[in-house]
Amino acid sequence: MPTVVLMDVSLSMTRPVSLDGSEEFQRKNLAVHGLNMLFEHMASNYRLEFTSLMAFSSLWELLVPFTRDYNTLQEALSNLEDYDKTCLEAALQGVSNVVQQEWGSACPCQVVLVTDGSLGIGKGSLRHSLQTQKHRGEDKKFPLPFPFPCKLFILCVANAEELQMSDAMDNLEELLRISGGEGQIFTVEGSLCMKSVQAMFGKLIDHAYSAFHAVLHCGNLSSDVQVFPRPEPVVVDEEVEPIPRAVSTDLEIVGFIEISDISSPPVITRHLVLPIAVNKDVDEVGAGATDELEEEPSASQMAGKSPNFCVLLHGSLKVEGMVAVVQLGPEWFGMLYSQADSKKKSNLMLSVFDPGLQPLPWLGKMSHLGPTSEATENPFGEDDSKSPFPVQPPVKRSYAQNITVWIKASGLQTDVQKILRNARKLPDKTQTFYKELNRLRKAALAFGFWELLKGVADLLERECTLLPDSAHPDAAFQLSHAAQQLKLASTGDPQFAGYDHNIIPMHTDFSS
Amino acid sequence: MDPFILQLCKPKMFSVSHKTVFVVDHCPYMAESSRQQVECDVLTKSRGQGLIPLAPVSKSLWTCAVECSMEYCRILYDIYPKDKLVNYIVSDSEFHTLNSWRQEEQSIHGLMSALAAVGPPNPREDPECCSILHGLVAAVESLCKITELQHERRTTLMDMADRVANRGRIICLTNAKSDTHVRMLEDYIQETILDQNKLAAGSDRLMAIQQCDLVLVHIYPQGEDTLVSDRPKKEVSPLLTSEVHSVRAGRHLATKLNILVQQHFDLASTTITNIPMKEEQHANTSANYDVELLHHRDAHLEFFKSGDLHMAGTSTRENGLKETITLKWCTPRTNSVELYYCTGAYRISPTDVNSRPSSCLTNFLLNGRSVLLEQPRKSGSKVISHMLSSHGGEIFLHVLNSNRSILEDPPSISEGCGGRVTDYRITDFGEFMRENRLAPFTESSLDPSGKPPAERAKAQLERHTRYWPMIISQTTILNMQAVVPLANLIVKESLSEEDVLTCQKTIYNLVDMERKNDPLPISTVGSRGKGPKRDEQYRTMWNELETLVKTHAADTDRHQRVLDCIVACRSKPAEDEDRKKRGRKREDREDRTDKSGGKDAEDKSWQDSERLKGLLDKDEQESEVIKDSPDSPEPLNKKPRLSTEEVQPPERAKGPVSLLSMWTNRITAANSRKHQEFAGRVNSVNNKFELYQQLKEENGMDVHENGKASR
Repeated sequence: MPTVVLMDVSLSMTRPVSLDGSEEFQRKNLAVHGLNMLFEHMASNYRLEFTSLMAFSSLWELLVPFTRDYNTLQEALSNLEDYDKTCLEAALQGVSNVVQQEWGSACPCQVVLVTDGSLGIGKGSLRHSLQTQKHRGEDKKFPLPFPFPCKLFILCVANAEELQMSDAMDNLEELLRISGGEGQIFTVEGSLCMKSVQAMFGKLIDHAYSAFHAVLHCGNLSSDVQVFPRPEPVVVDEEVEPIPRAVSTDLEIVGFIEISDISSPPVITRHLVLPIAVNKDVDEVGAGATDELEEEPSASQMAGKSPNFCVLLHGSLKVEGMVAVVQLGPEWFGMLYSQADSKKKSNLMLSVFDPGLQPLPWLGKMSHLGPTSEATENPFGEDDSKSPFPVQPPVKRSYAQNITVWIKASGLQTDVQKILRNARKLPDKTQTFYKELNRLRKAALAFGFWELLKGVADLLERECTLLPDSAHPDAAFQLSHAAQQLKLASTGDPQFAGYDHNIIPMHTDFSS
Repeated sequence: MDPFILQLCKPKMFSVSHKTVFVVDHCPYMAESSRQQVECDVLTKSRGQGLIPLAPVSKSLWTCAVECSMEYCRILYDIYPKDKLVNYIVSDSEFHTLNSWRQEEQSIHGLMSALAAVGPPNPREDPECCSILHGLVAAVESLCKITELQHERRTTLMDMADRVANRGRIICLTNAKSDTHVRMLEDYIQETILDQNKLAAGSDRLMAIQQCDLVLVHIYPQGEDTLVSDRPKKEVSPLLTSEVHSVRAGRHLATKLNILVQQHFDLASTTITNIPMKEEQHANTSANYDVELLHHRDAHLEFFKSGDLHMAGTSTRENGLKETITLKWCTPRTNSVELYYCTGAYRISPTDVNSRPSSCLTNFLLNGRSVLLEQPRKSGSKVISHMLSSHGGEIFLHVLNSNRSILEDPPSISEGCGGRVTDYRITDFGEFMRENRLAPFTESSLDPSGKPPAERAKAQLERHTRYWPMIISQTTILNMQAVVPLANLIVKESLSEEDVLTCQKTIYNLVDMERKNDPLPISTVGSRGKGPKRDEQYRTMWNELETLVKTHAADTDRHQRVLDCIVACRSKPAEDEDRKKRGRKREDREDRTDKSGGKDAEDKSWQDSERLKGLLDKDEQESEVIKDSPDSPEPLNKKPRLSTEEVQPPERAKGPVSLLSMWTNRITAANSRKHQEFAGRVNSVNNKFELYQQLKEENGMDVHENGKASR
């Protein structure tokens, strides 16, 4: 989930912080110190996160576009200049534009707003923005809530008491609320100093930038992994299941499915699954175990050399063109597969399905997926030539079952013409003729459209009179028989107007 | 708890759209003609001469109401085959309920059949006895009835059952007399709700209505002025909202209900454009067609959010009420083994289901082909934003991600942990995956023990991975073709007698290999020089085999017998094994004598001397075992070990085995062997004794490659 760091560089940030006996700091210095700490943490523990840095005062500027290069970010921090007053609305609009341009509107983002809590005065101040936000036209809407899902973290280089003296806290809370409520306000506890600011950023790190570690299990095989980005808890139904569901730290493989069977399923999020080395004795089983260590190789070299289940799994998934179905929690599943970034690079990827027992209709219930070996007959065929997937729904959809719709006149005309076309080719087309006739009869009865039955009966009688001399004698018999049956049905007499009753061809001497 | 929670854009499970009651007026005035005429006698020029075309037919108000409501249901059932329910009620001098909330009664076919039984209204019936009110009262009563889903949820939630809400919608298709009449109907419904809610409070099978939306559609014939005015949704009471649509019968009514079904079920419309289709008349020319599809509006979420609607080619039709987004057909690709990054898949329903372009498109998709759809952009750049694909006879509109990925350019897996290991058993694990492939099980074929198939799948994975070395150089037995039959069988939950026999055969075969001193596919990676000696290799092999089988020995008696067989074969003087084998051979009448026949005489003499030695050991229990048929369990074999001391770790009794216990097992197994001394070891020099010395001399360099080629 990309991060935008929005740094307040208004003049108020240069306010000095009184520290007894030591060097004098500005609030800006403290903020930069905290951000440096955040970037250092990300560089070592969360380095796949894309982060961008924006500075704002009355104007805003994108200092560093989204990058994983944390040195560049830190460098940009050290070159911040001081500008005029705070105008948050314009900056938030800027964030909205920058994020959408880069990631579109579906990708969840985190915005880290670093400010001193002086949110401007008069026009352009946050207070003013919030007061007027309800009375605006479509073109000047307040940028929050963002079109993309967003977590807004507000880090104030000020303590809560200070913010509560003005209406700053209220305004920030309101801002958080209209952002969608996903986020938090952090304030400095105690007096302003390096330590307290560090503590505040530490809380943010714990809260939003701690790595998600899990264990991937496949029976007795397992591997410690980091799942990136962190899988977020999901609320399935606010009303019935208001408690968010979180992905378990034990990811259990249930079994395997071919890519063509799982067939581009919809997923809510995607994550990289990166094997990690946890300090543990390296497992060495069976032959080839070497006990002597002549030189002490570096930890990462060691980790690279000791077999890891993720690498094995990834390799086989890639070669076989399969995915592993993995259980993420109660009634919650996902899939693991090999995702190639380029020809050379590929990775183990986790896609998370909608929580629930049937995220993919064509697989049936996930809990009903079982080992092929237990089926009485191999569902894939002995030579692997067939597949039990996709699972067929019990009822066909309208487009798969030749349904009759006469909303448009053309629909009705086509059906009548079909009957007449076949009527002219009797007795060759007897079967089709009656099939079409019965289809029309059924629909006309259901719609209470008895007039149509009479009309078609008249048409058939007319066709009868128009038969050429060369026509087969059976044709005349069938036409008048069909016309008569339709007329009987149009009376509504239950004996002839039953929905499931079909007009059957008249048995003539010719037809035998 | 983390406050950041991914909100899925889903409506509440029990919103008003869970239950829809159609109340259709069946009173005499509905038999009136809609006055919209349909020409069904379309005469072609060639035949038309001199014929008087048949008078056009016209639908009654009833026919219009029924076919439009059926169309509403058709779209609804296509897009929501479950959990969005319709109850259809017809009202005249009494009410007729055509179906119930039950899932199996939710079908167009069932409703059509019931409608046919009702038939058109009888124009001669006394209008005074007939009223829509009968149906409306029945509708409210029906909304109080609990659905299967509500029942199921209430049962699972137990004490939080009140979270399950009861809301619903009544769509009333009628011909009202005036605005006052409409108000009277609303008041009547409001009162009925209050009455029914009181009743529901005292019943288990009923639920009080929390919210009811009344959608009243007044239908009047073409060419007449309406007596009822349109009115947007308003709140009659906290329980009831009401809206009135005054619509002319015929296509206006159809359009209205199409709009309503979209509003009621959060649908949106997409028009697929540029579909190439062969002309009916001229088969070698093709023209481009458009087909309109309905689906859940989330398929357009990205467009709505980014305000890209206009760019995406929105066209507004019919006085701005209906909007559709245009997506362009891209020539289909046949590659179905690609996994697209798909953020949503939504069922579709064609608006004009049996038109030729629609049925061509749907049939094309139902035949298993997928079509990528392109979002037209002003800039002219090509963005594939959606895909149409069918799964099991259902067509889905897949939303494909067209934005930059936040996971781009990740470190390759080869750069991470275990990335530099090169001899993973990739092919073997591929086979393992195929063995553990999942298949759907039906409700009826479920295991009576109650363990769901997915749990059984996990149990199978557990059994198959009790001993599964990840790299080639970590294993000997799993690189040996000769071990395959045993390795495949031992992981099974239960073994048949035949399976046990096969395993034993495999073991004897290994004994045979050892006797012939066949080379083993032992990896020399990591060891210097020539690697371990052959007898050392066999010891490793036997150890490994024992480890594998030991992890399963506790499962059943038959598994234990396989282990016993290994222990017996490897821990006894060579002669015992041989004898036993020959005994078995006789039983099975397997004609393998010609192979070893030539050696028999010499073998015997050698054996005899060895046997003497064995007898001298006075291990009577062991000699009993020797006489035992391998087909019967060998409980005696266990005895000496059990009686010796605490050699059996308790872990053995349970399924999965930790590395530690595997190791201790191995050590104890090694130790336990000591109490009954290996004949060779007695004569060993420096604790080493070359086995089958005489065989080596005899066979010379007769070596077979018994193992798989190592990779």
